[in-house]
Amino acid sequence: MPTLDVKNLVLWYRTRKGPVHAVDSISFALEPGQTIALVGESGSGKTSTANAILRLLPKNVLRYDGEVEFDGQNVMELTDEEFRRNVRWRGISMVFQGAMNALNPAVRVGFQVAEPLMVHYDVDRDEAADQALDVLRKVGLPADIARRYPHELSGGMKQRVVIAMSLILKPKVVILDEPTSALDVMTQTNIINLLKDLKNTDRLSYIFITHDLGLASELADLVGIMYAGELIEVGPADGVFVRPKHPYTGKLLASVPRLRSEEAPDFIPGAPPDLTAPPPGCRFHLRCPVSFEKCGWSAEEFIAQMDLLQSSGEAKDKVPSIASMSAKSPTSLLIKPGANGSVSDFVQKLNAFVAATSEKNRFLKSIESVQGKTKSVEVKLYETTPPPIVGTEWRAACWLVTEGAA
Amino acid sequence: MAISAPIGLKAAFLEAARTKSGLAATAMLGFLILLAVLVPLLVPFDVVRQWSNPGQWSDNPKLVPPEWSEVFTGKRQPRTVIIPPAGQSGGFDHVRVSFEVQGQNYTIVVLKQSFDFQADAFPSEISLYMTTMFGSKSPLVRSWLTRPDGQEVQLFEDTPSLRASNVSQFRPADVITYSLTYPSFKDPSYQVYANVKQWLISNNVTTSGEWGELFPSPTGFYSNPPKAQVLLMAQLNHSMLDPRTAQVLKGKYSIRFEVDGFSSVDDANARAVVFGTVYGLIGTDDQRRDLLIALLWGAPVALAFGLAGALATVLIQTLLGAISGWYGGAVDELVQRTADFYLIIPTLPILILIGILYRPSLILILFILVVFGVVGATTKVTRSIVLQVKEEQFIEAARSYGASRGRILFRYILPRVMPYTFALIALTVPAFIFLEASLSFLGLGDPNLPTWGQLLGNAYGAGPAIFYTFWWWVFFPAAGIIFTTVAFALLGYAFDKVLNPRLREQ
Repeated sequence: MPTLDVKNLVLWYRTRKGPVHAVDSISFALEPGQTIALVGESGSGKTSTANAILRLLPKNVLRYDGEVEFDGQNVMELTDEEFRRNVRWRGISMVFQGAMNALNPAVRVGFQVAEPLMVHYDVDRDEAADQALDVLRKVGLPADIARRYPHELSGGMKQRVVIAMSLILKPKVVILDEPTSALDVMTQTNIINLLKDLKNTDRLSYIFITHDLGLASELADLVGIMYAGELIEVGPADGVFVRPKHPYTGKLLASVPRLRSEEAPDFIPGAPPDLTAPPPGCRFHLRCPVSFEKCGWSAEEFIAQMDLLQSSGEAKDKVPSIASMSAKSPTSLLIKPGANGSVSDFVQKLNAFVAATSEKNRFLKSIESVQGKTKSVEVKLYETTPPPIVGTEWRAACWLVTEGAA
Repeated sequence: MAISAPIGLKAAFLEAARTKSGLAATAMLGFLILLAVLVPLLVPFDVVRQWSNPGQWSDNPKLVPPEWSEVFTGKRQPRTVIIPPAGQSGGFDHVRVSFEVQGQNYTIVVLKQSFDFQADAFPSEISLYMTTMFGSKSPLVRSWLTRPDGQEVQLFEDTPSLRASNVSQFRPADVITYSLTYPSFKDPSYQVYANVKQWLISNNVTTSGEWGELFPSPTGFYSNPPKAQVLLMAQLNHSMLDPRTAQVLKGKYSIRFEVDGFSSVDDANARAVVFGTVYGLIGTDDQRRDLLIALLWGAPVALAFGLAGALATVLIQTLLGAISGWYGGAVDELVQRTADFYLIIPTLPILILIGILYRPSLILILFILVVFGVVGATTKVTRSIVLQVKEEQFIEAARSYGASRGRILFRYILPRVMPYTFALIALTVPAFIFLEASLSFLGLGDPNLPTWGQLLGNAYGAGPAIFYTFWWWVFFPAAGIIFTTVAFALLGYAFDKVLNPRLREQ
């Protein structure tokens, strides 16, 4: 039985621009002693996932549902008070992003580490401090550190303190939210080794949130790749890192710079999508190097891409001249040919252009049919839905994978 | 984190003490605290409790500057000389003879004592106190002053009447006590003038006509009475008639009382005070009170009042501000709107009204000030700081490990706000000291406890001319107020400099 089983977890925020789909239907399971690395760009919903699991919600929550089974119990059904008492820190604890800010500057380290103990159990100050000393020793800190204030410690020491704090109630799952992001490489390695030791001795399960693929591969048994609020690929680390199924995972791995390599690291063009209005179909299709018919181009996206193509210098001559474009429905648009060109001429030119450049300008692949009308050309696009996440041990949400499996 | 403000109260205090203004503030406050601790030991509270009791201060000269002010005038100013009653050391020599002639008892009592007078100025006053006891017949009471030049001037001669108000009869003993005070009783003091006039005329210093011109008394009362202490102690020549030209006759003076009684029970005792023209370190006020006592006691009173008021209001306001910022919602709204309301209440007029109606004690004034200061500007400042602090990650961390809201407020948020609070306390203390001084100045302070403001109020109440002539009455209490407020203001600025990174030097 998995320690933690997350099913269709959803967390949307309410903003003035509209709902933000920060976490959209995420599922994964974690066995005791297993580590899942949640990897993704900034703003892909990694930290929101962690907050959703620990129910640390801001005030502007719009939608929060799904199932989080911890030790066989669906903790989503608990009241806030029950959750605070029984799950938070006692079952699932967290190591915060940026240790230097996660410590109360006015409290000595020893008492800081003991805080959760005093909050959850009726333990007196001195006894709690004694237990804190044990945990501090466990994370490799000398005992005299307990009497110091956070600002007297180095970054690595503070990080160890924060880890000690997360361990004091002996939780089964620890969420590590970028635990090493502000540390130098040597300290990072030390912390990762410490986390590995703790995992082996205490059979801890980690949810390791990072954007550092190198560190993820060090620690993780499972890898979850997040993009635009969705978990697009989950699988065993040795599989996902070696032979990724989702094109995004592939591009992500290719973008990691390597020491002693002449090759310039690859990058993904464009920016992550706006989560208030996530793209239809696969959320990655706008930036995907291998997108095709089913990936979900909408009429607006098509028009925007066409405009971009027209204004870019190199393709100017080859693009059939266009007077104006307008979306008719999400999957169809009307194009008025420019430069007095006839409709039939334009259809021909467009078909030729698509045939010639659709490998490069992948949005052109979404054209299902081109029909000449009296004064304009109607372009119909393929209708589509978001790709389902398929597979058992190793799942990915990509039409390529689905089609391949089918 | 860019330039970090120091963490915790101790660190903030230590760093503040290291700045220049902090160093000055620490020295000044150290002095004040030392004073506040020592004053109750040096001047017992019992003395201060007698502040409003005029009898306590009758041996002090009236409205005289401090002793050291003679440095400015260049003249040796007389100090007060007290000749205590017989029986005390340095007191009057007491000789009593009782005898019987033809079945009639007589008693003669002589009280005599001399004092050396070497100052360059005349005493401000001379007071003589005498008590006579007698049987059924009134005795004859007389008094003389013998001057260094051998002249003897009779001061007064009196036969106490049984019906006089200053006669009291003690039962069951058949002894009547008569007390006489010069110059408090009109009759004997007028006798002194008459006697002096007679003495001067007989020595050809003046004539009756000239005396009448100089000291007119058309209705029997002197409109501008002669200064007896000048005439009695000046060199015997015509210049003595004008106090501005009179020269002091230095040397040994002697005061003598004689009682001729007609019974065997008659007895007498006397006391004399020759008042100086300077007194103590600070001088005296119009009620002969030693201003030093009030000035010294002003320090602990001002410190206690200012600190207690500032601590109470700022801490309560901070707590409410923090609660308001941390819990938000309806609590926030309630606290903030109450603060708005309190901010527009005119506290001073209300206090004046209360002062007029109830004459409140210092403690009650403090209580009223605290009641009117439970919310206010500090509530708003604290709320804005808390709104910032509550977004910090360690608060979220605390929430995540299940700390309750109250625990986060007291263990996480308030310790962060405290250093700022202490800067505010330091800056609020002067406000309270000024407020108390204002109330006392208006005569609405605690009447039983002298404060600096009250001294200023008394000085002002004695007439506006006071500010030009009686500088010591105004200068020292004002200096006390300024010294204390500046000390706290400097401490506040030092805190501010440490806690506000933008004000940091370098």
